[in-house]
Amino acid sequence: MNAVPDSEIVPERVLHESSYLHEGFTLRSWLLTRDHKRIALLYLISITGFFFIGGAAATLIRLELMTPAGDVVDAETYNKLFTAHGVIMVWFFLIPSIPATLGNFLIPLMIGAREVAFPRLNLASWYIYTLGGIFVVATLIAGGVDTGWTFYTPFSTLFSNTNVVLAVIGVFVVGFSSILTGLNFIVTVHRLRTPGMTWFKLPLFVWAHYATSLILVLATPVLAMTLSLVVFERLTHIGIFDPALGGDPLLFQHLFWFYSHPAVYIMVLPAMGVASEIIPCFARKRVFGYRMMAYAIFGIAIIGFLVWGHHMFVSGQSLYASIAFSLLSFLVAIPSAIKVFNWTATLYKGSITLSAPMLYILGFVGLFTIGGLTGLFLAATALDVHLTDTYFVVAHFHYIMVGGTVMAYLGGLHFWWPKIVGRLYPETWARIAAVTIFIGFNLTFFPQYLLGAQGMPRRYHEYPARFQLLNEVSSSGAVILGIGYLLPLAYLPWAMLRGRRSSANPWGATGLEWQTPSPPPQENFATTLQVIRIPYDYHPATESAESQA
Amino acid sequence: MSVPAEHFATAEDQRQAAELGMWVFLTTELMFFAPLFLGYAYNRWAYASAFAEASRHTDVVIGTVNTAILLTSSLFMALAVRATQLGHRRPTQVFLLVTATLGAIFLGLKGLEYAHEWDEHLVPWLDFRFAPGNAHGAALFYYLYFGMTGLHATHLTIGIAMACVFAFRLRTQPAQHLRNQIETGALYWHFVDAIWVFLYPILYLVNRHG
Amino acid sequence: MAIPTVKALLSVWLGLLVLLGLTTASAYLDLGVGNGVANLVIAIIKVSLIALFYMHLRHATATVRLAAGAALLFLFFLAFLSFGDFLTRSRNSTPWRAPQTTSATGDTY
Repeated sequence: MNAVPDSEIVPERVLHESSYLHEGFTLRSWLLTRDHKRIALLYLISITGFFFIGGAAATLIRLELMTPAGDVVDAETYNKLFTAHGVIMVWFFLIPSIPATLGNFLIPLMIGAREVAFPRLNLASWYIYTLGGIFVVATLIAGGVDTGWTFYTPFSTLFSNTNVVLAVIGVFVVGFSSILTGLNFIVTVHRLRTPGMTWFKLPLFVWAHYATSLILVLATPVLAMTLSLVVFERLTHIGIFDPALGGDPLLFQHLFWFYSHPAVYIMVLPAMGVASEIIPCFARKRVFGYRMMAYAIFGIAIIGFLVWGHHMFVSGQSLYASIAFSLLSFLVAIPSAIKVFNWTATLYKGSITLSAPMLYILGFVGLFTIGGLTGLFLAATALDVHLTDTYFVVAHFHYIMVGGTVMAYLGGLHFWWPKIVGRLYPETWARIAAVTIFIGFNLTFFPQYLLGAQGMPRRYHEYPARFQLLNEVSSSGAVILGIGYLLPLAYLPWAMLRGRRSSANPWGATGLEWQTPSPPPQENFATTLQVIRIPYDYHPATESAESQA
Repeated sequence: MSVPAEHFATAEDQRQAAELGMWVFLTTELMFFAPLFLGYAYNRWAYASAFAEASRHTDVVIGTVNTAILLTSSLFMALAVRATQLGHRRPTQVFLLVTATLGAIFLGLKGLEYAHEWDEHLVPWLDFRFAPGNAHGAALFYYLYFGMTGLHATHLTIGIAMACVFAFRLRTQPAQHLRNQIETGALYWHFVDAIWVFLYPILYLVNRHG
Repeated sequence: MAIPTVKALLSVWLGLLVLLGLTTASAYLDLGVGNGVANLVIAIIKVSLIALFYMHLRHATATVRLAAGAALLFLFFLAFLSFGDFLTRSRNSTPWRAPQTTSATGDTY
């Protein structure tokens, strides 16, 4: 069964060739572009590259963990591998993934604008990202860094013999890329909405990116300064983080996690935004509780700033602070749960099509829920004492970041691919990839919950023999997951060149981005749009009546 | 700008976007300074007497004069904005150059201060000497002192450069064309001044009566 | 957009200088913890004057005022919860015990 009705497929000869992709074919026209759509594609290429570099590190990690003995790499190299994996995946893939690609491409379209508020700043963001990336690649070439992506002091400042400064500079630089992206989105959403596009007519994708942008601008600068202090400490040994000189390592941890916990919401909120676009479309039903969904997004963003101490329960933090952070961490689950319930309610009695984007998003909802629930285990201080720094934590965050964000990212990429490139991807291959990824993902990461509960520590290149079976299952699952990721890498570019042409609205979706041709012209819309319909104006009753007529 | 960029409907839209953009940027700048303020607050609490002793070694005369200079520079920047809004090109240029000059005098005096502190062995990591017992805390104080005032001075330098560039551009353009830029540049300048308003008492006035 | 008068701008400037004199002079009096409090309060007043009158926050849109407020709020969150840890840390600490070299499950480390 085709997700796209035949009436929506446009014959080649009918189409005009004046989209944003045709405004100049030189390298210069791409590298000096001010078009948010082209900048989105520049980011897409960069982050895909980093995804596979980070994935290569993960491959070596899982290879090492196939056997209990540390026989593939030595301990220090293994430390460098998980550090590279973490630094690259967090800062160079997950944080920019949805906002810098889908967000950049879609936000002006969704609000009926021609451009973002500051187009040149947008291009500068990508160049800054690239500069940060160069530092990180240089770090890898120079031999890597072994501190973990968390750069804990005093190891990073006093004892590590690896390229800490080089790595930290890379992260510092890329932070400014995300700050500027967030700034641009905030001003764009405030100032460039087309007439009639009031706040409560905005797609939830836009709400999600607005809240994400608030986190980006408020939290990232704190990381930048904290990392600067690490560099100064490493170069001068003044002692602000060194207990022997009267400093406090927990000062670093408070500052680091003040950013890094909200950072995980930077990673998940855009994914929730994607889910809120795809589910109504493929259930042919309005989002249940639109306003609550918007408020929940803000609830997550704000409360998410108040929970960072749950990363520090065993660090020597005061018991009373831990109690406060534990309570707040339980509270932050509430708005997330509201969103999951509302997605479920949207699906209920909807007319569901299991297209590839829908498969990815259903996977997202389920896996995010499991990951979120295990977060509650970790929020309970008494349990966290046993589970922290074990594979339970590793499984928890991978369920959310990979089972959650990456699946939503892929779902969104598929959903909007026809809009971005003007051609349809092959639906059967896409469904195969989605299912392969889902199976591979669960095989890889579910055993890790069990390993963690049984006591296997994280960041160790060797382990006691009784953990081997589950590790073998996990590593085998990783092979399947890797194959699943390679499939879209092959057929999405293929679709860009050889896919069937798409009409403006192949899915019959609501939203202003579907009211302009696929791919859009450079100026996005031929005329200024006036918005009168409510968001997600799907009518399952009338649609099913029409399809039966 | 009399003609807005093509993605803005009106010039007023563009002006409001520029204003909001600068305020959001200033928010990020405040959060950028935040860890230094937290580090200061924590270490002052942990090393109260060392911080008090170290603060008494700062040059309160230069510090106070510099604060007055920076506050005055804000006055002139506000006057420059007013003149731009009224379309008075020459007064705007003069006010901008006075602002920049006052900023430069601040930097000059700061440089003098740094030179004295170097002579008195108060620069951590570079032959730092302090009465034993308070040495660790004093080193942390001066680390934060140089860090915060250095970061502030960097921002001030950028502000001075901006003011000079605007004054230079006004030679060939009417004030209205640069209105958005000067207004947003002024916001930046006032922010840099506001940061100093907090730095002054926490660095220069701790336990002065002791 | 309201354009301030020269008189208004000069008044704010004079107010700022007076407050500067006040904060400096009060530093030479022994007010104990009151010194720090006074300095902080005066600094807050000065920055408020700068923000409201020089940075036009009085006439700005709600969005801009929200942006200004948001920064302060999150700064407060960082300070408040971090100090919640620092100030309560010396209580209820567990006495130091040497780590076990063999775990309950028989692994050695």
